[in-house]
Amino acid sequence: MKKIVVIYESMLVQMRQSFVRPMFKFCLFFNPIISTILLYEMYINSGETNYFAYVVLGSGLMGLWGCICFSSAGDINRERHSGTLAIIYTAPVSFREIVVGKIMGNTILSIFSFVMSLLVAKILFHIEIDIKNPFYFLFSFVATIVVFVIIATIVAFLLMLSRKTELYMNCIEVPLIMLSGFVFPVDLLPKPLQLFSRLIPSTYAVELLRITACGIEDINNFWNKVVLLTGISLLYVLGARLLYRIIDKRVRIKGNLNVV
Amino acid sequence: MDKIIEVRNLRREYIRKKGIRNKETIVAVDGISFEVGRGEIFGLLGQNGAGKTTTIKMLTTLLAPTAGECKVLGFDCFGEEEKIRNKINFIFGGETGVYRRLTARENLRYFSNLYMLNSSKQKERIDEILELVDLKNRADDLAETFSKGMIQRLQIARGLINDPEIIFMDEPTVGLDPVGARMLRNIIIKLKEQGKTVLLTTHYLQEAEELCDKMVIMKDGRIVKSGVPSEIKGGYVTLEDAYIDLVGGQVS
Repeated sequence: MKKIVVIYESMLVQMRQSFVRPMFKFCLFFNPIISTILLYEMYINSGETNYFAYVVLGSGLMGLWGCICFSSAGDINRERHSGTLAIIYTAPVSFREIVVGKIMGNTILSIFSFVMSLLVAKILFHIEIDIKNPFYFLFSFVATIVVFVIIATIVAFLLMLSRKTELYMNCIEVPLIMLSGFVFPVDLLPKPLQLFSRLIPSTYAVELLRITACGIEDINNFWNKVVLLTGISLLYVLGARLLYRIIDKRVRIKGNLNVV
Repeated sequence: MDKIIEVRNLRREYIRKKGIRNKETIVAVDGISFEVGRGEIFGLLGQNGAGKTTTIKMLTTLLAPTAGECKVLGFDCFGEEEKIRNKINFIFGGETGVYRRLTARENLRYFSNLYMLNSSKQKERIDEILELVDLKNRADDLAETFSKGMIQRLQIARGLINDPEIIFMDEPTVGLDPVGARMLRNIIIKLKEQGKTVLLTTHYLQEAEELCDKMVIMKDGRIVKSGVPSEIKGGYVTLEDAYIDLVGGQVS
């Protein structure tokens, strides 16, 4: 019960703090508008007619990931500079729960970038919002959110080790967009890169979103991807737990929690 | 007296990069030993870079010692930190350590949740502490609208939220106006009366003399003198003269 309170309170505090930051507002409101326009222009002569699956989902996912990535990773540095990282780290509750709460707060706010993409696509380009399997789509959407939270948690833990978090989060934002197939299918990537894609759970989450938006043709294929997504996500969760144990010791040996 | 903090041959090194390949080992704390009894106000004095903050960071479980023993309430600060953390708290000087985009009350509410205070006691405790640091009438204002001194008082309130047995204060009066500094000194005295232990670093020697039961003077990571203020003063008239002599300055 205490864990839930900590996650919930951290989430609320994070939402309050993120929402007033200009960068977060940019990621939340303007980034999806620009991405939707650009993706629409890219896809207009591509022969692909399902604009929802590529333009709206693509820009929505980019906005969602951008907000989560820049906020969750950047927040570690913001906490470090405001002197609160050391305080929340040495609080008697687990720092893991605090981080998860913060990422959940950012994620909930970030869902609005999806809404922005939908609105822009509908108003500017009159794109039909036709989701063939709405129930399965909702399921896939929730799975996507969970996967993003897991990945962002791992990233946040890793960034505790360094003070150059801004540099690293810029380095991870675009590769994940490409490797997970946010804006085009991963099958278009070179074969060696596809191997990397298959190791990232968000790849399966995005595929599930597209399958359910376009209409499930093979239900077995859908469930196979759900199983793969679950399995890899569980491995990531186990990895995150192990990573935290290592990082928990490492940051105190290296002394990374303060600015100086 | 019950020893609540035990430090033996404590050493802490940092690795600093020099250029691309070279690394340099900096010894921040070099084999120090001291003990603090329950209910004492203990001072760690020294010049900037003497190792005071590093020592506090090790005692508050933020940093791992490179060598030696560092125990709080009988538990190792590195390895048994979970048994320590809910019984201690720390206040670092300056304007950091609070969320500026939250109100004073929201800050304290969040930190009290992190210290697992019962929700029934939470409101009462927050009001009590806000009163103590004279922020009750600004409790619902955003911390970013506060003056430097008010933020520092909020930080003090945060450091007391869990009613800690031991409070570590690293230059807590830095930047405080005379009224704020006096208020903090009164709080420290009040904490001692309640049986709390305070480990304090400060550059204000008069403050140290007024408050501390015992103190150590550090220089280049080592302890150069320890004892009660009168022992530290020795033959000098003021603690400042003795201090300057010990850290290698010149007494006029």
